[in-house]
Amino acid sequence: MRLELGSFPVERVVFADRTRWADGTLEVHRDAVLRAVRDDPRIVSAELELAAPGESVRIWPVRDVIEPRIKVEGAGVCYPGICGRPIATVGEGRTHRLAGLGVAEVSSVNWHDSGGDFVETYLDMSGPYAAMYPYHRLHLLCVVVEPDPALGSEARNDAVHKAALTVSDAVAAATRGLTAPQREVFELGPVNEALPKVVYLWCVHSPQAMSGSPDAYCTATYGLTQLTPPWYLHPNEVLDGALTGSYRTAFAMSWTVANNPLHLDLLRRHGKDWRFLGDIVLRTEWTTQHEKQLMANQAAKLAQVLGADGAIVTWDAGGNEFIEVIRTVQACERLGIRTVFLTSEDDATDGAPTMLEPLPEADAIVSTSFFNNHTLGVPEAPPVRRVIGLPEKAIQGDRRAGTGKDVMVPTAGPLPPPRRYDDHYGFNSLSCIE
Amino acid sequence: MGIPVAMISAIYDLALTTGANRVVRGARIEHVCGDPHLGPEKDYAYGLRIVRTALGALAQAVAGPTLFDPLAGGAAGAAGQEAARHAS
Repeated sequence: MRLELGSFPVERVVFADRTRWADGTLEVHRDAVLRAVRDDPRIVSAELELAAPGESVRIWPVRDVIEPRIKVEGAGVCYPGICGRPIATVGEGRTHRLAGLGVAEVSSVNWHDSGGDFVETYLDMSGPYAAMYPYHRLHLLCVVVEPDPALGSEARNDAVHKAALTVSDAVAAATRGLTAPQREVFELGPVNEALPKVVYLWCVHSPQAMSGSPDAYCTATYGLTQLTPPWYLHPNEVLDGALTGSYRTAFAMSWTVANNPLHLDLLRRHGKDWRFLGDIVLRTEWTTQHEKQLMANQAAKLAQVLGADGAIVTWDAGGNEFIEVIRTVQACERLGIRTVFLTSEDDATDGAPTMLEPLPEADAIVSTSFFNNHTLGVPEAPPVRRVIGLPEKAIQGDRRAGTGKDVMVPTAGPLPPPRRYDDHYGFNSLSCIE
Repeated sequence: MGIPVAMISAIYDLALTTGANRVVRGARIEHVCGDPHLGPEKDYAYGLRIVRTALGALAQAVAGPTLFDPLAGGAAGAAGQEAARHAS
């Protein structure tokens, strides 16, 4: 499987009377793009807005950030299977990407109505809070969209996410006939047999148990969000969007999955420092010990059958999902596969362990700092001049003052950071506090 | 010594590795003490069985973290069987 990834750098975005890319400038035909979005009868309102790096602007609520990618050669479409898109196997041929651009999906629609998980990400383009995430270096094309509120949860999510993908497709299409200024070829070709063989165990949340729906919107493999047994994905499939966000942190967006630095490093150093065997994608939040242990056993078995000497493990969630993740580490180690686990840590107040089940087999852990912004001591984000999206945001009341209920505050004002930080893939260099 | 505790958990291995002495195997994280998919009567019977297993566990002396399985038969469950099966 050979994939050429052509990058078109985006240094400037403007609205114009046509959609095209030239010399780092992306022109967007706002009306034509919005017409395509509003063509979906489920959409009640849709707007497009721009946010530039360094600008005093806040975007709320951000459900996903998508990097526009389009297949120009080879089977299938980028971001396959999602919202009814074709499910042809991707990863081969040529794909174009708009590097430095993110399509931000902005809507009040929550992931599901069952509670437990809420969209809590807002993004700033300047200031100390913005600096914690990769997005402040991007140009964000924001799709502010609301669907018919009478629709069910799955339909509202489908409509909103489809709107963002429609915009992503429309701008990516501007590169179709062009030659990419930067080109990189990815393939897992034959290498020196003496190199160690490494597999990536990429654990991603499934919303099925919490939502009670097999079709709830969330992190997806070929659009599927269900609790399914481990998948083997060729890394090129992931580069074509076969694995996508989003989940509840700013690090669990489709953009961060596509640009996961750990994954790209594993690919780029294939044949130099190791033989990269590919990605085992493990869906998490199984709800019995049996299921959790079964998935761990099967993921480790897959790694063994692939011939892995080593495995890298990441995850994008918290709580009980730790069990299938850490048990996967344990199962790999017991099969003689040396395993490194990349994870954030819980609050260690009062001497509590920073991991739910600290198993002795997990003896090589890379910490990406704390799970929660509060533990990390992240201060309030300062006020901004402009807001894209909803003018008000709910923040948690002060329990000590006896005002424990959520209160609505202006989005533009000073805001506490979202509850979770949780750098799943090592975008930043924060680590543990000794 | 002290007050005996029976902990009902769907993720019983975690309870065992963290040192809970009497762990009772619950149904699922979403419904630890029963299973609504069984319908009201069977759900109630299953829940009763779990709780009775927990009460039985309280009365039983254990040497260390021990699993009690309501589905393994007997009011107190088959202590140790499940633990042995899952520890491997």
